[in-house]
Amino acid sequence: MSLLTKQRWNSSRAREARLAWSLISPTALIVFGLIIFPAIFSIWVSFHDVGLNNLNDVFNAPFVGFENYVKVFNDFAFKFQFGQSWGAAVTSVVYSLASTTLTIIVGLIASLLLNRPFRGRGLARAIFLFPYVAPIVSIAFVWKWILDPRPSGVLNDILLRLGLIDAPQAYLATRGLALVLVILIQAWRYFPFAMLMILARLQAIDNTLYEAAEVDGANAIQKFIHITLAELRYVLGAIFLLRLMWTFNKFDDIYLLTGGGFGTRVLPVLTYQFSFQMFDFGRGAATAMILLTILMAFMVVYIALVMRKVEE
Amino acid sequence: MSTERKNFIGHLAGWITWPRFIFAAILIFFLTSILFPFYWMVSSSFKTKAEIGGREPVYIPSAIRLDAYDELFNPDNPSYQKFAYNIINTLKISIPTSIIAVILAIFGSYAIARLRFKGKNALLNGILLVYLFPGVLLIIPLFAMLAQIGDRLGFDVQDNLGVLVFTYLAQTIPVALYMLTNYFRTIPDEIEQAAMIDGCSRLEVIWRVTIPLSIPALVSVSIYTFMIAWNEFLYALVFLNDHTMFTMPIKINTIFNDPTPRPHVVMAASTIMTIPIVLLFLALERYLTEGLTAGGVKG
Repeated sequence: MSLLTKQRWNSSRAREARLAWSLISPTALIVFGLIIFPAIFSIWVSFHDVGLNNLNDVFNAPFVGFENYVKVFNDFAFKFQFGQSWGAAVTSVVYSLASTTLTIIVGLIASLLLNRPFRGRGLARAIFLFPYVAPIVSIAFVWKWILDPRPSGVLNDILLRLGLIDAPQAYLATRGLALVLVILIQAWRYFPFAMLMILARLQAIDNTLYEAAEVDGANAIQKFIHITLAELRYVLGAIFLLRLMWTFNKFDDIYLLTGGGFGTRVLPVLTYQFSFQMFDFGRGAATAMILLTILMAFMVVYIALVMRKVEE
Repeated sequence: MSTERKNFIGHLAGWITWPRFIFAAILIFFLTSILFPFYWMVSSSFKTKAEIGGREPVYIPSAIRLDAYDELFNPDNPSYQKFAYNIINTLKISIPTSIIAVILAIFGSYAIARLRFKGKNALLNGILLVYLFPGVLLIIPLFAMLAQIGDRLGFDVQDNLGVLVFTYLAQTIPVALYMLTNYFRTIPDEIEQAAMIDGCSRLEVIWRVTIPLSIPALVSVSIYTFMIAWNEFLYALVFLNDHTMFTMPIKINTIFNDPTPRPHVVMAASTIMTIPIVLLFLALERYLTEGLTAGGVKG
């Protein structure tokens, strides 16, 4: 080794970098092997015919071009058919937008509630987090059991007693209603996430702003719109983006609640059905790529819009 | 008695104003709609088959009956579910996942927070990808990849708890890394510098300074990773076939889809799965809520 390279090798910068890589290499390997490589590999799978028969020899799977994508686009479960079914893509978009918006609204109400002092606030805050902390499997089955179609279902019983319905309803097995309920359950489960983030921001709002507004004679609604909402703008935008992304990708909730039936089949559920019920991995991967494309397109538009607003 | 009551009502009437009334009404609405499903889960688990299958729902079980729990745990019960195996399987997966993820994340986060090296940003962006990619997208190539590797090295991909732990690392490490890096950045650099001047090496600094100062963060990260593995559904659904290898979520799903519906058994199993998590959360709430907002839980 020449003196110069030896110096470079021993320089503190280089030693630091070597130490850093040795510390991070296990993590980097896992991230590469379990996230980055599979992500790229799934693009490859979506252009090949991969089934159970050639899973053990996947790298020699026949190339089929866009055939998987064509199959997905022509599938009745994917296609938007006016008046009959929305198809998975449209359902996914409606479901994610609606439940994200509702989650934020409920989270905002909850955070305003917890932002004012009252006795037992700490306990109330802890209870408000329950839906978010509890396992999704339990949550889904409790709601299914509450919405049970038999007259012994709680919701049926209550609505029958109140005289609002004449006969027991199969809520999660009714087209349209099932989607609405799934959206409501999403808001019930995920509002605490929005609530915590909004609460943290609310507590940072300078109180003098409100005092000044009061001096100027602003009423409660004006104060809410011009101070609270204005100050929450960025955090609401961040929650919207995060939750939308996660809801769009969400599989468990809908799969457990409805199995994707009755107008609730979203793209992740369709991906699962193609891959692990029909064992057509190529078609499943193609569906997942379509999902990702829609998501990315949305994010690009959203970020472009938000950035432009920020610049203004 | 009656004067006291009048005083109370008078007091109440004086206290209640419209804003207070609306506030209380909304609060009560929130609390009931949150707590009722949990009450329904726990109370249903103590009902008998007759109470559960009646024409009308039983809001308060006549007595605490352990019929459902008997079915889960008693080998002499005709429809014994071997649920103890499922609890143990879940623990066998969530504890190693949490320990491995935290240990790897300590080193990784330290490197990201404190050291300069090439490729740091590329790595961080790669990690963030997991937030963007749906689990259903990653599981197809993972399944194909692991099947191939398993074939070469001679292990089964299906019903292999080790494989499942390995795939859970992909979901937990990014979260752990993100939370710990944020925490490590809040530790003043001067303390570490002082330790290094005293002659500690970097590894000694991590062991003697950084880790002891980060105990609260380490506790909350290990609980989060534990919870992710404890609750995980999709990967376990794909990778497990044998009933004795099932984790709790998959087993509960199986009991629910049984041809003879037994909601009380489903609710009993759900209670067993939910209570420890909620209690753990309540006990450590102070540490944990911060992590929830720090992008802690993806879901």
